[in-house]
Amino acid sequence: MTIERIRTEGEVEYRFTHPDDFREHVRDRKGRSPVPKLVTAKEAVAAFVSDGDYIVYDFSSLTRGPQSLIREVIRQRRKELWIGAEFTLHESPLLVGAGCATRIDVGFLGYGNYIGQAVCDGRVKAYEWTNGGLALRILAGARGVPFLPTRDLLGSDNMKVSAAKTITDPFTGDPVCLVPALNPDVAFLHVHQADEFGNARIFGTNLFALEAALASFRVIVSAEEIVETDEFRKDPMRTTVPYFLVDAVVHAPFGAYPGAMPARYEIDLEHVDRLNAIRTDEQMGKYLEENIHSVADHDEFLDRRVGAKRMRELRRRATIVEGYR
Amino acid sequence: MPRTIEFTDTEFMIAQGARLIEDGKTIFVGWGIPQVVAMLAQKLYVPNVTQLFEFGAIGPQSVLPFVRGTMGGPQNTYRSLQWLNMNWAFSYSATGYMDYGMLGALQVDPYGNINSTHLGGTFASPTRRFAGSGGGNQVASHCWKTIIVIKHEGRRFVPKVDFLTSPGYLDGPGAREKAGLPRGTGPHRVVTSKALFGFEETSRKMILLSVLRGLSAEEVVRDMAFRPLLAPEIGEIPPPTDDELRVLREEIDPARFIIRGEKMSATA
Repeated sequence: MTIERIRTEGEVEYRFTHPDDFREHVRDRKGRSPVPKLVTAKEAVAAFVSDGDYIVYDFSSLTRGPQSLIREVIRQRRKELWIGAEFTLHESPLLVGAGCATRIDVGFLGYGNYIGQAVCDGRVKAYEWTNGGLALRILAGARGVPFLPTRDLLGSDNMKVSAAKTITDPFTGDPVCLVPALNPDVAFLHVHQADEFGNARIFGTNLFALEAALASFRVIVSAEEIVETDEFRKDPMRTTVPYFLVDAVVHAPFGAYPGAMPARYEIDLEHVDRLNAIRTDEQMGKYLEENIHSVADHDEFLDRRVGAKRMRELRRRATIVEGYR
Repeated sequence: MPRTIEFTDTEFMIAQGARLIEDGKTIFVGWGIPQVVAMLAQKLYVPNVTQLFEFGAIGPQSVLPFVRGTMGGPQNTYRSLQWLNMNWAFSYSATGYMDYGMLGALQVDPYGNINSTHLGGTFASPTRRFAGSGGGNQVASHCWKTIIVIKHEGRRFVPKVDFLTSPGYLDGPGAREKAGLPRGTGPHRVVTSKALFGFEETSRKMILLSVLRGLSAEEVVRDMAFRPLLAPEIGEIPPPTDDELRVLREEIDPARFIIRGEKMSATA
């Protein structure tokens, strides 16, 4: 049988790690011992997020997104970040507007004129992998293989502005698309419950929470609630991520604000409207100053910028609880 | 006396989209307007349709009203049959279980190719940049029949899309299969705020099937940047019904964020 030939390939930069390099990182750098990992967001970001890192996050800006961690990255003024942007409405404009992110694998670029204009102005580079393509790259990273095949992206212009390749499938003889594994430097997961060791639970759907935790060099979990390990042993079907994938656990009530946390609190639509309305650098700067740089941390943000009354109201509005427990 | 119904172009687009969805089938629903179309259909016409969303909600029964921008919130994952994640969600479409896909678009060309990435300029230096594929590329690649929902503005119907985000029939008959896309898939209908299009079997080119009651075929195609084929007999689409408008205005979008648009009227 003839060796399959590459038919087309995109020629753009892409993040790639040889599976053996990742395995060696796991062997040498990821602790297996269940040690307490509870730290503040400030400590977690200081220790585990560096300039130039590739970051992915789960879930969306409006639902269970790791917003308090994103704000901490901005507060610590990380530079040259590369983000895998899926279900992102506000993370990408905020990270680009704050000067933190310079490359975006899309996914879904983000909502509104600000981020679109930033791409037009060349302030951030975008590559097009599509949502399904990025999710599959992370799955490949999580399976320890260098690539996975798929029957989409084919025939589209995304093939030219990603590093996906089309080859002849050795089994069918038909063209098939290959996407390279993605092993991000850091994954942020915001979860309903975690214990101090990093066992974590999400109630509801997710993008690629387990895949991202498996595929990433470092994993930061922020949790609405810290629970005992016994809770996981009593109901193991509910465990999203086991402790040994996780490097840091941050207790972050209202960590998804201004988005919703299913069955815990609803979206703050007024705040979201303020984000959606950002068009200019001046408006962006004002938002960042008011909500991120002028407060020391997430607790102070909630205390001084959101307020107990507002949080009570958002909790009261979260009336849909069926399935989330 | 014939009664005159007043509505917006968006309301008409959503209503005629909702009428196309078949009961007892599966439909992969894209972000934005398709979510609203699916809600209206579920409420009025197709209690046994199974909706699927890329974030892993299988068969949800969405809570009204629609929370604009949301995708994956408790409202549109409510009472699902199954909760999963993205890699599993696209497994349902990749294996052929999704009868329909429904997507919005910035631009569409005669072969039903969709652009949702940029307008004008080049990819590296676009004139205007938008969100990109999201999961649209997978939906348009995998689902048996893709329905495109798009405002009827001439500039959106172009001979060639500025960026081919999600595949239609590419450059003609057989092109999808040649590219390696699943056999027997492709765009099925284009639902607009004035008309309904299909794709002619042999050429795979867009063909005008019917128009909103009171409009002529010529009025509808006049400002399109390409001339679609015309069906031998152009059908007539009734305007939104009282029920459709009531559900849209009172239950789905009471704040009128989604359904606002150009005012239109037609005979009921």
